[in-house]
Amino acid sequence: MDANVVEQAAVAGAKYHDLAWMVLATPLVCGVGSWFLARRLRGLTAGFNIAGVLLSFLLGVVLLSISGDHPVLATPFHWLPVPGLDFTIGLQVDRLSALMSLVVTGVGALVMIYSTGYMHEDASYSRFFCTLSLFVFSMLGIVLADNLVMLFVFWELVGVSSYLLIGFWHGRPAAGDAAKKAFLTNRLGDFGFMLGILVVWASTGTVSLTELSAKFAVEPGLMGSMAGIAGLLVFLGAMGKSAQFPLHVWLTDAMEGPTPVSALIHAATMVAAGVYMLCRVFFLYTVPAGWPAYLGFMGDVGAGTIIGMIGGFTALLAALIAVQQNDIKRILAYSTLSQLGYMVMAVGLGAQAGTPASGMFHLVTHAFFKAMLFLGAGSVIHACHHEQDIWKMGGLRKRMPITFWTFLIGTAALAGLPPFSGFYSKDEILVTALETCPPLFVVAVVVAILTTFYMSRLVLVAFFGEARSESASHAHESPRSMTWPLLVLAVPSIGIAWLPLGEFIGSIFGGHGHGHGEVVKEGSVVGLGPLLTRISDGINHTLFGPFNHNTLAATFGLFAVLLGGSLAWACYGRGGADPLPRLLGGWARVLRNRFYLDEIYSGLVIPLHDAAAWVADWIDRWLIAGLGIRGLAGSVELVGRALRLVQSGNLQTYTFVFAAGLAVVAWFILR
Amino acid sequence: MTLTSSLLLTPLATALLVLLVPGNYRFVIRSLSLLGGLVTAILGVVLFFRFDPAGAPYQFESVVNWISSPTLRVQYHVGVDGIGAAMLLVTALVGFSALAVSWEIERQTKLFHVLLLVMIGGALGAFASLDLFFFYFFNELALVPTFIMIGVWGTGENRNRAAFKITMYLTAGAMVGLIGLIGLYGAAGAGSLDLVELQKQVALKPISPAAQAFIFPCLLFGFGTLVGLWPFHTWAPQGYASAPTATAMMHAGILKKAGLFVILRAALPLMPEGVRFWMPILAVLCVGNLLHCGFVALRQKDLNLLIGNSSLAHMGFAFLGIASVSVIGLTGAVLVMVSHALLAALSFALSGWLRIQTGTTDMVRMGGLLQRMPFIGSVMVLCFMAGCGVPGFANFAGELSVLFGAWKTMPWLVVAAAWGGLVIGGVYMLRALRLVLHGDLKSDMKGVIDAPGMWRRLPFVILAGGLLLFGIFPRLVTTRIQPSIQRIAEAARPVGPSEASPTTALVVP
Repeated sequence: MDANVVEQAAVAGAKYHDLAWMVLATPLVCGVGSWFLARRLRGLTAGFNIAGVLLSFLLGVVLLSISGDHPVLATPFHWLPVPGLDFTIGLQVDRLSALMSLVVTGVGALVMIYSTGYMHEDASYSRFFCTLSLFVFSMLGIVLADNLVMLFVFWELVGVSSYLLIGFWHGRPAAGDAAKKAFLTNRLGDFGFMLGILVVWASTGTVSLTELSAKFAVEPGLMGSMAGIAGLLVFLGAMGKSAQFPLHVWLTDAMEGPTPVSALIHAATMVAAGVYMLCRVFFLYTVPAGWPAYLGFMGDVGAGTIIGMIGGFTALLAALIAVQQNDIKRILAYSTLSQLGYMVMAVGLGAQAGTPASGMFHLVTHAFFKAMLFLGAGSVIHACHHEQDIWKMGGLRKRMPITFWTFLIGTAALAGLPPFSGFYSKDEILVTALETCPPLFVVAVVVAILTTFYMSRLVLVAFFGEARSESASHAHESPRSMTWPLLVLAVPSIGIAWLPLGEFIGSIFGGHGHGHGEVVKEGSVVGLGPLLTRISDGINHTLFGPFNHNTLAATFGLFAVLLGGSLAWACYGRGGADPLPRLLGGWARVLRNRFYLDEIYSGLVIPLHDAAAWVADWIDRWLIAGLGIRGLAGSVELVGRALRLVQSGNLQTYTFVFAAGLAVVAWFILR
Repeated sequence: MTLTSSLLLTPLATALLVLLVPGNYRFVIRSLSLLGGLVTAILGVVLFFRFDPAGAPYQFESVVNWISSPTLRVQYHVGVDGIGAAMLLVTALVGFSALAVSWEIERQTKLFHVLLLVMIGGALGAFASLDLFFFYFFNELALVPTFIMIGVWGTGENRNRAAFKITMYLTAGAMVGLIGLIGLYGAAGAGSLDLVELQKQVALKPISPAAQAFIFPCLLFGFGTLVGLWPFHTWAPQGYASAPTATAMMHAGILKKAGLFVILRAALPLMPEGVRFWMPILAVLCVGNLLHCGFVALRQKDLNLLIGNSSLAHMGFAFLGIASVSVIGLTGAVLVMVSHALLAALSFALSGWLRIQTGTTDMVRMGGLLQRMPFIGSVMVLCFMAGCGVPGFANFAGELSVLFGAWKTMPWLVVAAAWGGLVIGGVYMLRALRLVLHGDLKSDMKGVIDAPGMWRRLPFVILAGGLLLFGIFPRLVTTRIQPSIQRIAEAARPVGPSEASPTTALVVP
């Protein structure tokens, strides 16, 4: 590294590390402060929290603009210093973390503004905003963490805030169950994550991200035979947070929380944390594959490949399930699962390509359009008096125009229709898959077809045709506080990929990224003709880059959208009941019941842990207390009984024994 | 009089004063005890923050000779190192909180408060004593009231049996421990049980391996029983379930730690041979605490039994940290002791409030209580989250250090089991929250109320605040205990191969 550059980075660090701390702390200060000072004043509390997150967003913009090639480290706080081990809380600002912090605070602020309308009648209005701020704080902690232990700390805190928000309506039994399930499933993933951190620490001696990446850059084989295990254990954490099969079951239940929560946490940010974390520790996956002797059969299959397969499987599974769901939020939840599977697949396969850029790119675009879709769903639910079944909606297109159009944009982006943002990021994933693992490319295309199909089904059933219920026929557009965030989110959903975002993310990981093909050459000729050429080149490059870069992938992507869309039109274009149960027979029921996975889990896990608990309890009661201890301590108990015959009451017994002890001491002295 | 002496004599003197008040002057008894508790708490805080980690190994010392025959010298010798300072702080805080929640006691108020104050004074004395004889004396002084309180003010139909069981177990444990101490006195040849002198003597002439082979297990299992070491643990959940709130808080929070305290300060540094032989066995037994007690907790429907079993599971972490005999692990063990003192006290205080309000500790009969008790409910969420090892609370800091400390010196399976124990902890803690706080409010629970006003809330705020404070700034504790921990680790493992190669620092540039 050039000494000059280091010096510059240090200067920048000295100058801006306070800024990074402010990005992190502002939501916390506003959240906690408003809770203790102003929770009785609802409006003020909401305003204060929104201002905190907005301020954090603005500071994040500054951070992004100053973050260069080299990470800026904010002065660490020595959290738990022990000789030989110094856990610190420090921030690492680079382009990846600055970008992600903008996604978190940007979507967060919009969701909070939206919530002023959506939660208006709720008695616990202030609690809602303060908990959201707590969530944003925890999430920013994950994003900015400079070492694995701190990442884990905030990782858990995100789990806690998610627990609090899913169980926000604590009077509802289902909300309590869902919150518990979410937390525990995540905990199961974190079990592996922590062990992974321990393995990494034991074999490298550090948990600092910069030190780790420097060490791996010098000596990729540092982890030796533990590389595969460490990679997979750390991935277990991502599996929990990003809801990958088989730990995916919590995400759809989490929809019991208020809809803004689903939009922010269970669509845009928290569930993306797993993917982000994988990008952050990507150096663990580019190392040469290594397995201990008993896993020798894995050969040179790296952890990345396994992750890619799990991601692909999750994407397919969730997309299939989504086809037969009827609850608007559940359809979106399964689509989130499916898209997360896409991202995880891209990052896993990226290990071979050397960059996780395509997964990260999709994470950013997905955050915006999925948040918008959820907020749109919330607007629909709000208008239909908390009706969530799409078959009881219908005809909302005319009654809720803003919601309809933004929802349509979100659908187009999710389906991957050019020129909406989702098309470009999905294309990069398809390219990654095509270049590294053709079978998964096929899976990805099938998932794309299914995605378009179920999203078109949702739009056609809920927004077109005639109103299917009383509440749907009286629906009207939501208040402005709810429609404005939708409109604002529509802008990045359409056009964020027109910015050179792909190249930007690609450059973060050092690789070239896939980008949109050739960069437009600076034209030096002045005049109308060259100007027009440049504009058309620019448009061509921006909008049709994917076709220039990898025609096969882009064509398949477009084909998937058209096929899925026309299938949906054929099935649902004319209204009427769902034709799929008739067409698919028993399979439709299997899909509707989510492959019975929840039932299988509760059929397996609950009896298993009941059995373990029962055995432990039995041992406690009969073996230890009954035979073991009573047998061993039988003499003591006999003495006790005997003493009880002489003395009455425990105090006397006790003092007697104590006195006996003293007598023994006395004997020792006088011996 | 030094700070240490005044700290431990305050509650005892208050107890004497309360004895003089006529029994029916309930208000005077309450206020006097609370005042004594408050002064104790303030002194504890002052002592903790005035303790200077860079200063002498033992600070605020005072010595009064008691027996000084040539063969046996017994001194009232009190003083604190960092570990003692931390334990005195939490004892004083928990003691005050226990006094503060004792407003529920209406029968024989005076006797109860006297006993509770004696218990607090005894516990403080145990942690302040540098002479093991006085440690033992103070520990017993605190234990005796426990048994009486469970017998007289206990709840539930099993309380006599529970009182009997806890008495027998703890007496037997203490007796075995006493045999160990006497053996230590004989084998070390220091002519005293004074820790400082023992250490000097052992540095000159180590205790013979044969004697260590006998004494070490006596101390480990004798005092281990007082902590609830698996499989000598079955007294704990039942005892706590029947005890009055304040007693359960003091015993589970504070008195249990006295066993760990003496193992840490006497058994470990004085007998490296015993450490070498017994620590792997302890590592196996602590898995019993971590997993077995966790599984038992899964089955409980009674809130107190659940808390009791979970507190045994937490003790597994302290044992694991001790068994690792590494600086990191031992630091973690002390952090666990400190944090669990606050956690256990807070859990029992909460369960006490719920019992008074709902008339039961059966979780299945509760439900939806968050609707009526926003304050108590929120503290309960905090507390149970701390209990399953969520960062931000002191417990996590301790458990994290134990995991890291044990990873290098213990088989990975043990560490995985420990961390697995926390995951199981999550299951039963969240199940309890779900059953007690979430869902519909039961029809017979309409009359329950939240803790009204600042005074009723104060104990909860102190304990939860302590958990948060040490969770965010665990270095308040770690910097203070570091010199003693390093001394203990070096003495316990003089030529430890894994400790000799210092673990690479994790310092971020």
